[in-house]
Amino acid sequence: MKALLLRLEPLIWLLFGQGILIGTILLTGWLLVVGVLLPLGIVGTGADEALSYRRIYLLASTPVGRLVILALVALPLWKGAHHIRHLFIDHGGADHDAPIALSLYAIATAGSLAAIVAVIRL
Amino acid sequence: MSRAAHPDAMSPAEPGRTRTAPPQKPASWPSHPRMRVYTLFGWTGVLYLLIGFGLLETAWSLGQGEVVWDAKLASFSHPAYVAFHLLCLVSVVFVAVRFFRLFPKSQPARIGPAKPPPRPVILAGLYAVWLGVTALFVAILSGAIFS
Repeated sequence: MKALLLRLEPLIWLLFGQGILIGTILLTGWLLVVGVLLPLGIVGTGADEALSYRRIYLLASTPVGRLVILALVALPLWKGAHHIRHLFIDHGGADHDAPIALSLYAIATAGSLAAIVAVIRL
Repeated sequence: MSRAAHPDAMSPAEPGRTRTAPPQKPASWPSHPRMRVYTLFGWTGVLYLLIGFGLLETAWSLGQGEVVWDAKLASFSHPAYVAFHLLCLVSVVFVAVRFFRLFPKSQPARIGPAKPPPRPVILAGLYAVWLGVTALFVAILSGAIFS
């Protein structure tokens, strides 16, 4: 298992790095809208308002919209999985690194595949 | 109290050509402020994993139609969701500031004939992209553009 993880290390680091860089850059705007502007009522959800189903669906179903949503969902999962793995190692879990790492990356993979299906469905 | 680091935690399957010392935890682990910030940086991974799955559910609800989408948006005004999103926002800003400070230092001195720009230029570029993309994202989602 450890040999497999080492073989996958460049790919995992690529996804982890992009999770920090692109994931963080994209997440800030999303969290500002849903965490601040929406609860304060600055952004509306009514039929003709900014977050209306019709408007968001039109934006999200474009090729660029689908790519952005895929990056917004999948990349933070890889950042999260890899960082949690290293938290386990740092806190004495190195003896169980391989099963923990594989479980976490399996969760990130499943989430990424579900994200691909979600954007294809749009 | 955490256990000692496993000496083979990050070692390759076969020994490399260059001999290296086994990894060791610093004596000040985990109480030193630098270690605390490092650990906090690692803990943001939990929030990233949760927000990733939260976004997956949101994207999925968009594909399920107007009723599900409207219910999803309505749930975002629940105090628990607001608190979670604000915590994630703080965490994302913390990750950005820490990572952007680290990023210029991690660049190679030279890639073939090309040299990377000076570190302050890389740092300024990262902040410009971050703030620019965030402003664009907020403008799109709030209906200021593409309405």
